[in-house]
Amino acid sequence: MKDGVVIKINEKEFKATEYQTVLTVAKNEGIDIPTFCYFEGIDPYGACRLCMVKVIKGPYRPGITTSCTLKVKEGLEVLTDTEEIRKYRKILLQLYLVMASDSELVKNLAFKYGVTSSPFSKKFDIKDSLGNKCILCGMCVRVCDALGVGAINYIGRGVYTKINTPYLEPSQDCLGCGACAKICPTGAIKFEDITKKRIMTSWIKTEIPFKECSLCGKDFVTEPLFNFVSKKMQIEVDEELKNLCSDCKRKLFSRKAIISTSL
Amino acid sequence: MKIQNLDDLDKVRNRGLNKIFTGKPKISVGLATCGIASGADKTYDALKNYIKDNELDVYLTKTGCIGFCRQEPIMNISLPDRPILIFAKVSEQDVNSILEKVLNERISDEKLLCKIEQWDHITSKTTYGCEFENLPSYSDIPFFKHQKKVVMRNCGLINPEDIEEYIAIGGYYPLYRAIKNMTPEEIIETVKKSWLRGRGGAGFPTGVKWEIAAKMRSQTKYIICNADEGDPGAYMNRNEMESDPHMLIEGMLIGAYAIGAQEGVIYVRTEYPMAIQRLDIAIKQAKEYGMLGDSIFGTDFNFKITVAKGAGAFVCGEETALISSVEGQAGRPRPRPPFPAEKGLWGMPTVINNVETWCNIPAIITHGGEWFAQIGREKNTGTKVFSLVGKIKNVGLIEVPLGTSLSKIVYEIGEGGIDGKKIKALQIGGPSGGCVPKKLFNTAVDYEKIRETGSIMGSGGIVVMDEDSCMIDTAKFFINFTSEESCGKCAPCREGLSRLYELIEKITDGKATEKDILLIEELGETIQKTSLCGLGQTAPNPVLTTFKYFRDELDAHIKEKRCPAKICKGLITYKVLTDKCKGCTLCVQFCPTGAITGTKGQPYEINSEICIRCGSCIDVCKFDAISVA
Repeated sequence: MKDGVVIKINEKEFKATEYQTVLTVAKNEGIDIPTFCYFEGIDPYGACRLCMVKVIKGPYRPGITTSCTLKVKEGLEVLTDTEEIRKYRKILLQLYLVMASDSELVKNLAFKYGVTSSPFSKKFDIKDSLGNKCILCGMCVRVCDALGVGAINYIGRGVYTKINTPYLEPSQDCLGCGACAKICPTGAIKFEDITKKRIMTSWIKTEIPFKECSLCGKDFVTEPLFNFVSKKMQIEVDEELKNLCSDCKRKLFSRKAIISTSL
Repeated sequence: MKIQNLDDLDKVRNRGLNKIFTGKPKISVGLATCGIASGADKTYDALKNYIKDNELDVYLTKTGCIGFCRQEPIMNISLPDRPILIFAKVSEQDVNSILEKVLNERISDEKLLCKIEQWDHITSKTTYGCEFENLPSYSDIPFFKHQKKVVMRNCGLINPEDIEEYIAIGGYYPLYRAIKNMTPEEIIETVKKSWLRGRGGAGFPTGVKWEIAAKMRSQTKYIICNADEGDPGAYMNRNEMESDPHMLIEGMLIGAYAIGAQEGVIYVRTEYPMAIQRLDIAIKQAKEYGMLGDSIFGTDFNFKITVAKGAGAFVCGEETALISSVEGQAGRPRPRPPFPAEKGLWGMPTVINNVETWCNIPAIITHGGEWFAQIGREKNTGTKVFSLVGKIKNVGLIEVPLGTSLSKIVYEIGEGGIDGKKIKALQIGGPSGGCVPKKLFNTAVDYEKIRETGSIMGSGGIVVMDEDSCMIDTAKFFINFTSEESCGKCAPCREGLSRLYELIEKITDGKATEKDILLIEELGETIQKTSLCGLGQTAPNPVLTTFKYFRDELDAHIKEKRCPAKICKGLITYKVLTDKCKGCTLCVQFCPTGAITGTKGQPYEINSEICIRCGSCIDVCKFDAISVA
């Protein structure tokens, strides 16, 4: 256990531990700091810049910085809602409004901070495979990496940056696990399940075959995900249970249990 | 042979001296990228053929670039015990006549620039010979007169592909002293005393950075040389590597010994093939002579250097992006802290310094920290190399003590504008820098003073602008550059710069209003304050300084819809002057859009709707019959 420290957020003292960031402390204490690219469980990324705070005292250089990457240290004092921060936040949200013009998340957050329109303009991209909703928070890329798959990544740079599969070809590596879609804060990533396969619509319609339950015939998991997990687990699973969907597994379990108790 | 002791080093030095003082006429041609671009390789070949055809006993060799780019190709000739004679603009056709005269000691060629009798290589002083009283000396030439060469101490004077010549002028002696006679702490103390600051632009004290890394408890440490020079118009580092690669290697070796690193990386952009080639040669030679590898100079200090080639992304000059790139990932910056000195390459303590910073180290070790600290001014010590380019007479690489005024650089070293044109401003610090107007040319080049103008020192690019340059257009150019080079990770830089570019385009198209100016200023400030790395944090500087210092030009664009320099295409029209036009049809043939119509022999007309303001008609018209308004 690392040492406990005391920091000040908006002139109020809070106890924290050294591995924490200002953002996690603030979140725990119910202090409002907006974020787009932060997710508990994956390393902070510092890209959306919305979680900026102003360091006014302590071991860091005073000024504006992101709270998601700011490790707490004894004597640190920050402010989360100054006039300066409000000004920059407004501009950033205005930029996001034109960048991901169809994202409800962006609209709602902007609305919350009083931003309803943007003085900037950008052409709507009808071919955008993420439906003009992607804010490049990189959560999908990072979660896919964290799984050890890395099927998607950034393509291009600057304002041309996009997230998709390498060479915009259907992915050979995608497991079809859907973690990217699940974590995507704007709901930009889409997939569709049809008979026998899952289609990762956003990822160049990568098709992932489903595995059928050997008892009821229902699609219950994608084939590559099943293999990936089996390999990772490295434990012997009952051959009889292995190829069953969760429903059939449960039924088989209970039937066995009933038989054993009735004997 | 592997050098183990001072005797070995002296032996190599003597061999090297025989290549510098050959006992016969010696000719060297400046064959760095800049020289070759001006045809120096052809001059070299012509010399080779001339010597062969006439069976002359002449020592022909290559050298780097002395910095006077306007005068390339540059050729040095030294007769035994005579000064080095520097000839300028030597084309292949000039070779015969110059050699015929010089080899017979008839020196009165208009191609002669100056002579060098003595030279302070910093690591040693060398007398080449005193003679030819009537010829101008190096210090008589305005371009050279106000310079002080510490980093470029050997550039254009020794063969960069020969380690023996480097040792001959005292090279690798500082390393020997550092390793054999100094403790790492003493070296760091010397560097701290010298007050050397990072030459990449930010100006962090080098000694302090080394000290942080030296104190880190880690078995493995790295040092990196940042040679990812990418500012438009800047090429100081390229020349330093091409003209004197060993000074960089020696500087890195001393740094590695001081902080306890075993491995170094030189990160060079692939667009610098000759620098890479010469570094490869230099590293190979340093290995052969025992300066790189295991048990250097017979001690237990081991060090190796690898060259990592960057793919030319500007953002990879940012240290954390550079580290990502070396690790094989995309060049995207990481948040700091942790700083590389604590957690850098492969998570290990890493010292990253710019090429020029490393190159200063052997000089500092030779004469001590106090010596270095008395060059320049307090807290801004030593010299800085600048590439002086743009609309200035003397284009080239210059090295001046910190504290030298911009006006001295522009008017004395650079000798002012081309063809008497008035200089309006200069842009310092590349895309991260800003425009400094003429009225502030008394500003000294000093990290703090330059910052006060709203610009930054940067890595050393100075682009000069004259009355024909439009400052708004210049700002647009730089924003376009940084927008294209943004890595795309953080929102303010990626989205903000792109929007900023569009807003500035609105000005140059004559469609902007006062409201847009306020928006640009607010957006610019947001990008500066909220971006993740130095690229975004400094990218709005060119725009914001232009708005600050060139309000009149801005107002002309916005209120009067006029571009004073007649550059912005949305604000100018081309017209045929009917009294001058002879109706020769030449412009019609060259107009790419068919905007010019009329009857042969009669004055023609330009249709503004179709005209794209490319200027082809002006270029071809023999009667000055086309005007821009």
